[in-house]
Parts: sequence; structure tokens; C-alpha cells
Amino acid sequence: MKFTISWLKEHLETTAANEEIVAKLTALGLEVEEYTDTSKIFSDFVVGQVLEEGKHPNADKLKVCKVDIGTAKVDVVCGAPNVEKGMKVVYAPPGSTIPVNQMKLKAAKIRGVESSGMMCSEYELGISDNHEGIIRLKDDSKIGQSYSEIAGMDDVVIEIGITPNRQDCLGVFGIARDLAASGLGKLKTRKNNGQKGSIKSPINIETKDADLCPVFAGRYFKGVKNVKSPDWLQQKLKAVGLRPISALVDITNFVMLDLNRPLHVYDADKIDGKIIVRESKKGESFNALDEKSYDLKEGMCAIADEKKVLGLGGIMGGESSGCNESTKNVLLESALFNPINIAKSGRNLSILSDARYRFERGVDPKSVLIGIDRATELISEICGGEFSEVVIAGEIPEDDRSVDLSVERIQKRLGVSLGDKETISILNSLGIETKQKGEDISCKIPSWRQDILEEADLSEEIIRIKGYDHIPTANVRTSEKVNSVILSKEQKLVSKAKHFIAAQGYNELVTWSFSFSENCQFFGDNSKLKIVNPISEDLDILRPSLLPNLIGAVKKNASRGFETFSIFEVGSQYKTSEPEDQMNIACGIKAGIRQKKDWQNEKSLFDVYDSKRDLFNLIDHLIPRQKKITIIDKAPDWYHPGRSATAMLNQTTKIGYFGEIHPRICQHFKIKERINAFELFLDDIPSITKKTTNKSILNLSDFQSVSRDFAFVLDQNIKGYDLIESAMKVDKNLIRDVEIFDLFEDPNLGNNKKSIAIKVTMQAPDRTLKEDEIQELSSKIIEVIEKSTSGSVRS
Amino acid sequence: MTKYKNIESLIENEKSGVSDLDTLEKFRLNFLGKKGEISLLMKELSKLGADERKQKAEELNIIKVSVLKFIKDKTAELQNVAMQGQLTSESLDLSLPVSSQNGTIHPVTQVIEEVIAIFGDLDFFVAEGPEVETDYNNFTALNTSEHHPARQMHDTFYVNSSSDNMPNVLRTHTSPVQIRSMLNQKPPIRLIAPGKTFRRDDDQTHTPMFHQVEGLVIDNESNMSHLKGCLETFLKLFFETNSLKMRFRPSHFPFTEPSAEVDIGYKKKGNQLIIGEGDDWLEILGCGMVHPNVLKNVNINSDEYQGYAFGMGIERLAMLKYGISDLRTFFDNDLRWNKHYGFSSINIPSLIGDLS
Repeated sequence: MKFTISWLKEHLETTAANEEIVAKLTALGLEVEEYTDTSKIFSDFVVGQVLEEGKHPNADKLKVCKVDIGTAKVDVVCGAPNVEKGMKVVYAPPGSTIPVNQMKLKAAKIRGVESSGMMCSEYELGISDNHEGIIRLKDDSKIGQSYSEIAGMDDVVIEIGITPNRQDCLGVFGIARDLAASGLGKLKTRKNNGQKGSIKSPINIETKDADLCPVFAGRYFKGVKNVKSPDWLQQKLKAVGLRPISALVDITNFVMLDLNRPLHVYDADKIDGKIIVRESKKGESFNALDEKSYDLKEGMCAIADEKKVLGLGGIMGGESSGCNESTKNVLLESALFNPINIAKSGRNLSILSDARYRFERGVDPKSVLIGIDRATELISEICGGEFSEVVIAGEIPEDDRSVDLSVERIQKRLGVSLGDKETISILNSLGIETKQKGEDISCKIPSWRQDILEEADLSEEIIRIKGYDHIPTANVRTSEKVNSVILSKEQKLVSKAKHFIAAQGYNELVTWSFSFSENCQFFGDNSKLKIVNPISEDLDILRPSLLPNLIGAVKKNASRGFETFSIFEVGSQYKTSEPEDQMNIACGIKAGIRQKKDWQNEKSLFDVYDSKRDLFNLIDHLIPRQKKITIIDKAPDWYHPGRSATAMLNQTTKIGYFGEIHPRICQHFKIKERINAFELFLDDIPSITKKTTNKSILNLSDFQSVSRDFAFVLDQNIKGYDLIESAMKVDKNLIRDVEIFDLFEDPNLGNNKKSIAIKVTMQAPDRTLKEDEIQELSSKIIEVIEKSTSGSVRS
Repeated sequence: MTKYKNIESLIENEKSGVSDLDTLEKFRLNFLGKKGEISLLMKELSKLGADERKQKAEELNIIKVSVLKFIKDKTAELQNVAMQGQLTSESLDLSLPVSSQNGTIHPVTQVIEEVIAIFGDLDFFVAEGPEVETDYNNFTALNTSEHHPARQMHDTFYVNSSSDNMPNVLRTHTSPVQIRSMLNQKPPIRLIAPGKTFRRDDDQTHTPMFHQVEGLVIDNESNMSHLKGCLETFLKLFFETNSLKMRFRPSHFPFTEPSAEVDIGYKKKGNQLIIGEGDDWLEILGCGMVHPNVLKNVNINSDEYQGYAFGMGIERLAMLKYGISDLRTFFDNDLRWNKHYGFSSINIPSLIGDLS
């Protein structure tokens, strides 16, 4: 909501300085969002006179002018077609800021000729869209005079944000009323003139639905002239950003901005018969004043005549009955509409209008006649003509809301001490009439405060007027602790996972929870993940996996020149768009160069074992006592079938995947690197209740350990891990560790054969192993592995 | 006697031939080895009479001790020389660059963890709720009826599932966690709920997804002054300054009454915002006393219980504290940004150690 200080002071008698008014507005909850001293906008601009005007030597369309600006005579290069000798102009000197684009003017050579400052058009000054030529000031303008004085721009424009509850401040009068309540000045009230009409209105009004439109008041004006508005009115509207149109329209706009009373004027000669306010019917449509056509749905509030829909009540009038310069007879409307219906219809048709904005927030029912009265005054004064008595269809609703208040309860809610007297005085200042009612105070709520419905609302009013600064600061800590647990086990898991993964060299990303269905096609059925109204086409579903957005990030950074990608995200992915179908996932990607070639190292690329190691270490970090992680050689479709696996906990719980992303997906994303990834299902990690804080008992043997190496030639399909397991099982008591230290393939080994070499560490808990024991154990290891793998030991 | 004189001059003579550990060992063997000169002389002593033997032995021992001392000193000296040689030959060019592969924590995670560290200390537990919400939890239960103008302030995302014939939404704020928690738990309640939120908005200062943290306190007595104390304590700890200036302003949220917005004082210095200095105000969060209708909707008796709620934007906190100027960069996933603004993987915010 925009207004000027001078406008405000038409309603408020105050000696307060502008700064004080601004501070008070914000303190009252009418937050000042912008403060513009218009005298400052033009303060650098002065009246100049063109003394000479000559051709520019290097440009046909430019002229070089000598301009008298009072303090000096300057040369200005000008391209305006209307510049001529003797003309009085608005001169902007170098160093001044041009309002329309906020550019700071500099003295410069224009096509070789020095130009000091410029002569301005209305467009450049931000006054209008007119940039056909420079402004021609009146001939009697004084050279050197500040343009601010001439423009009448010595006001302050204030823009405040109005919260949805404060419908009472959508007019300048209401703002003055709130300031007066806070003690900043005295409200100047305007008396209704209650003008009597001299003619009878030829237009009858019928309201068919008291719920949609409880009251519709109309006044007929005969023989008006819809002239241009007088300067004072035009300037007011312009100052708050409204374009003056014609007196009738400007007057309705003014009354709305001034008194928060939306009005409408119909060209009465374009109304067929009477006005009928009724529910719209399916199939009806109308052309609105915004030059668009709207198809009405059933149940909207149509203002119609006997033949057609004239407008949408409380939202927007129609073109067919609009006023123009030739309008002679008009019907002025001041009505009340159902806020919910207005909100629904407005949203449904996507019409934004000042009237809708006000009606859906609730308009003071008592303003119906006040609005007519004020508009009548202005129409008579500006447009002349005669007018009728006010015709009222329906009834102005009685508004006798009252709320019981107890000072004690208010104090308990606010934490502020208040006296009865102070409380009552604040309430009265807001126009709330108070009456003792037993222990409580009965408060009669004024009709303009549609938002006050209960005691809690009054508590806000009281502290708002007293000042939020008066709320003391109490200790937030309580003597007894309320919560024994701050973070749940699941929350701790998330935090632990993030820090651990980052510690493995990954950069944490936060990507959208939405994704692009085309990128997600590889990640299962997405039909239940649709966003009905996505922000853009390529963010049209909830992500079924963290991978598509992370892969997208690889792509994006690859095009920025990155060659190494270690990125992860911990967050939710969705099975369906039901609230309960959200899963917590930790997902890491390693792709591209693991080690750059440098003076020390050869180049190497990330591979799937990096992802395996990171996943296994992560699991070990999250559940250190559950060592039993195994893998199944099968993973979902989005992985390379030969380079992926599922991680199992205790062979029963699927807790994650790792692998190389399917090359088809990399192709889809146009990524040339191989992408390795892991996914860990954080929700499926069992929560382990610690029975004891003790760690398990550690038995260490001090007897010497020995190790022996064995190499086997095996079929290609034999798994390395099986070899380790087989060897371990030979003697659980004596075999401490089995390690694969060499692996290679060679045609000399035979078709589809490979060689695996293991190092077996043996140690007895109670003695030093003797050579023959070691020999025996070694033979057994060879025998067992040869048997279980059909391989042979390599000599 | 002359014999001993001879050996002494022999020793002096051979000392000069000692140039490294090998010649030193040779020297040692020449005199102290089994057949060394001194060892042989020692053996000869037994042939002498007791008096003479004692005297000669003493003389000989002095010579032996001096030889031993020479060997010890010379060994140390020669080892030192050898070590110097090794050190000189082994010196490396340590200016050569080493690689580093440090992971990073996203500023959103960092700030959420900082917020949790502070509120955890103030006895708030961390509650959570789903990102897809029912229309009821996101709006209606929070005293925002279908046609409430406040609903238009949220541009809501709808998804293709529904609850009670209303399409489900991506939550527009973390406030529905209030509803879920109050339905689950009896007062007293003290919680914060950090998480993702969504609004259909995308421009210079808005992203369709962002993060909030909600706070809720319900008990017999918590009022506006506790709310003020709570936020003041939090903001001072968060911005790590005791000179923080804070201002409460009336505002409006359907689910609180009275409602307030909170500004903090700041000063602009170059491109930096300095929190805790200056006379300009910056909006930082919204809050208020929980509306009686909200309590009614979760079956809490508003005559007996009352309390406050607040909500703030995580990215905004991060931008102000860490001088990040553009909201949209949080979700750009430009690794240059992540590496620059990210936090050390092993720094876990705490009030005992470091918050940031």
C-alpha cells in the first residue's frame, strides 16, 4: 500500500517528523518497505533555456545546443526532435541520477562533441512513458529554478506492507486511524454530507443471493461530463503509482485508496433494464476491463442486467458497461460481497484486482454509504450533473461482535504487566468500546476491524499499541529438563553419515527434491511421483532416487572443466507422493580422475572398488558392531550388471547398493566418464540398543606369527572372497588372516583362467607353531581351496 | 718403562691414520684386540713380581683408558660426519606441491547442525515430518482455512496423491511438524524442526526448495517474554556476538497471535554485513504465541496450556553469517562454490568446542 505524507496528513493532525511517522508505522505492524523523498529525485535538475541550437558536425539527427542554466551556459548534445531555440527545458547536470534507469550522468563526448549533461524527456524522469521529445516547460519558468518545485514533487511517498489481517489499513484513512490510536496525532474525521438526491433513479437493483452479496447500494448520476481529473487528483494517483484515466474512474480509485471502499461506475446507458446480482451460470462469460474475456463458472457473483453479465462483483467490471469520455449518465455501485466467494472466484479465474484484494480480506460493512457519500461529493464537483437518491438492495449487515477480555489472561499471554486502566485506554483508542462484565471486560469490536474475533486477537492489539519494545526478555531455560533425548538415533545416523562421507573426500551437495521425469526413467516407475504444478517442465516429479540429480551435477561440473567428481547427498527420495513414502538415503558418486598424473603419481581413474570401500567403511562407521556385511551379485537396473552388487547385513537385510552406473544412463546424460556410486538406505539400518558400553573382550596372542603365500590358477568365475573364506575355514583357531596380494590374468594360464595369490597369517594362541604344523596347515589350505574351486596351486 | 713409551708413541702415530670407522676398528684391534699391543702387554704383566706388576698395571691401564676414550670420541665424531653426509645427500625439494582431496559439508548442513547444537543446549529436541504433507496439516490445522488470504502468500506445489479428498502438497513451511508433534506428545513440549520446504517461486531471491527451522514451546506459562528471551539467546549464540541488537515488530501469521517479525541490527561495510553493529535492520524470522485454534485442532486445552512458535530460513541464516550473497548458489551444485563455502568434514558444531 502506497501513500504520501501529505495525503496522510489530510486525515491526521500531527506534528510528528516523517522519521517518527515511519518508525511508528513499522512499530504498529505496518512495515515501511520503501520511503522515497520525491523532492530528492529531482533535486539536481534545474530549469534551463536553449539559447542556440545548431547542427552536430558528425550526426544528422543530433543537435548541439547552448543552454543557459542560470549559473552557467553549457553545451548539450541533444537528439530530441522538438528542441528549439528559446525553449525552457529540464536540465540534468553531470553527476545527477536519471530516475528511469538510475544511471549516473557523466560529461562525455557524443560523436566527437563534448556534451555537458542532458535535457530530459518525461520518460527519463519516470513521469510517463512519453519519450518522443524533451519536456517543454512553461515559458515563465525561472532559469536555474529547481525542477522539484515546479513538478510539485516535494512529498514523501511511503510504501507499507499490509499483512492479510490488516484489511482496515488498505486506505489512507485507516492508516491515519491506527497512527492516531498509537498517540501520534489526532484523527480528522469527515462527516457524511448525506446529500439528498434530486431525481429518481431509473435503474432498479435486485440482489438474488444475500450470501453472495448482502447489500448493493447504487446512485444514478445524470448529465455528467467525464472530463480529465483535476491536477490534485491526478497527482495523488500518480504519486502512488496509478495512471489517471478519467474523472469518474479516478474518483472511484481515489475513494478506494482513501477510505478503503471499492466502488464501481457503470455507464448507465449501457445497462439493459435493471441490475441483477446473482450466481453466475455455467457457460456465461464477459469481457472485463483488463481487456480479457473470462468464462464464468457456476456460483460466482455476477452483476448482470436483463440481457448480459456486466461484471464480476467485487472483482472486476466489464467492458460493455464501462465509462469513457462520452459517458453522460452513470450508476455508482457500493456493495458488499462474500469474501470466500471472491477469493475462490478470483483464484479460479486468476484475476488480480484492487477490489478483489480488499473484498477477500473483508471490507467494513459500514463503508457502503460513506463511500457513496464521498464519491457523490467528488462527482458533483468535478463532473457536474444531477444525482438520485441512493437505491439499496439487500441490507447492510449488523456487526455486533463482542469479545470478553481479562487483563490477567492477557498479561499471562504477553508476559507484560498491564493495568486495567491502561488496557481499557488502549482498547478505546482503537475504537473498541469497553464495558465491565463480571471479572472480564466486554469489548465491542468496531466494524472496520473484521480480523478481531477473540481474546488472542485483542492481546495483539494491546501490545501493538503499547509497543512490542515493552515485552521484557525472560530466561528461556527451565529449571527442570523437558527432553532427555535431543537427537533420535535416525537423526544421529544422518549426521554421522554426512561427516563420514565428507571425510572420504566427497563434497556434499544439496540438489532439488524434484527431478526430471526423462532423467528418472531408468529408476523405476515414476507414475506416482508427479507434481501437479511443477515450477518448470524439467522438474516435474519427486525424485525416485538421489542419483539422477547427482549425475546431473557431474554433467554440469564436467562442462565447467572439472575432471574429478567426488560428490554426495544425504536426503530423501520418494516411492510415491504419499507423505509416508519418503526414504532417507545416503548416496555418493565417484567419477573421473582419482589421481591426476603429477610429479609423484601416475594418473588413475575412480573405479567401482572406490565406491565399495566407501560404502563398507561407512556402514562400519554407522554400525561398528555389525561386521557381517556380505554382497549379492545383483543390483537394480540403473547399475552396470557386471559391475554392481547389493550389500546385505547379516545376509537378511538389504542395506545398500554399489556399482558402476549403467553406461546407458551415462549416454543419456552425455557423460563420458564412468560413474561409480553407492546408495545406503539409512532407514533400514537397524537401531542397535547398546546393552553395555563395554567393547567385546580382546584376546591377543604374544606367540610368533608366520605367514605363507599361495598362488592358485582358477576359473575366471571363482570369487576372490570365496577363496578367503575357504582358507579361513581351514582352521579358525590358527588362521588369523587371509589377504589377496596378487591377481592377474594371462593367456598362458589357459582359457578363462586367472591367478590369485593369497597370504595366510597363522598364529596359535598358546604356543609357537612348529614347522611341521605349518606344513600340515599349508597342505590343508591347498587341498581345501583346490577342492572348493576346482583350481590348482601354481608352482 | 721404555716399552710403554714406545707404545704410547705408537698409539699417537696410528691415531693419525684413523680416518673413518674402518680404520678406527683396525686401530682398535691393533691395540685392544686379542693380539693387540696392549692386550699382549697385559698378558706379560703376570710374569712380574707383585709390586712391579701393580705399578706397571696402573701405568698400562692409564694408556688403555685413554685409547678407549679416543675410540669412543672418534666413533661419535665419525658417526656424526657420516650422518652429515647422509643428510646432505638426501635433501629433497619440499616446495613440490602435494595433492589434497578434502571433502566438504554443505553450508545448509552446517547451519542446521549449529542451530541444533544451540537449541539442544536450550532443551529443545529435534522433531521431523515428511516433505509431502496433507493439506490439512500444512494449512487447515494451522488455522489457515482454504480461502484464507495467507494461503496466497504461499505458492504451493501439489502432488498426485490426496488425503481426505484434498491433494497432498509439498510442505510450504516446517510448521506442520508442530501439528504432528502435538498430536503425538502431551505438553510440556519443546522442539525444533529443521527441514526442507517448498514454494512455487523462482527468482533472484527465491528458490523452489529451501530450508527452515521451526521452533515450538508449549507449557503452562511460556509467553511473549520467554519467546523474546529464547530468540535473543539463540541469535547471540548463532552469530557469535554478544552485542546483537534485536527488534520485535507486529506481523501476521494465521497460526500465531500475537505474531511478530524479528529484525536484527547490522551495518554494511563494503560487501560485508556486520551483524551486531550499525543502525540498519534486517528481517530474520517470524514468530508468535501459538493461536488457540491451533491448540484446539490438536486437542490441547488452551485454557491450561499456551506457548510460542517461531520459524526461520536456514539459507538466510547461512547467508548472513557466512557472507554468501546469492541464495540460488546453494542449489547450483557448482563444485567451485561447494569447495569455497563448504565446511570441514570433521568439524561438528558444538557449544563446547567451536560452533563454526
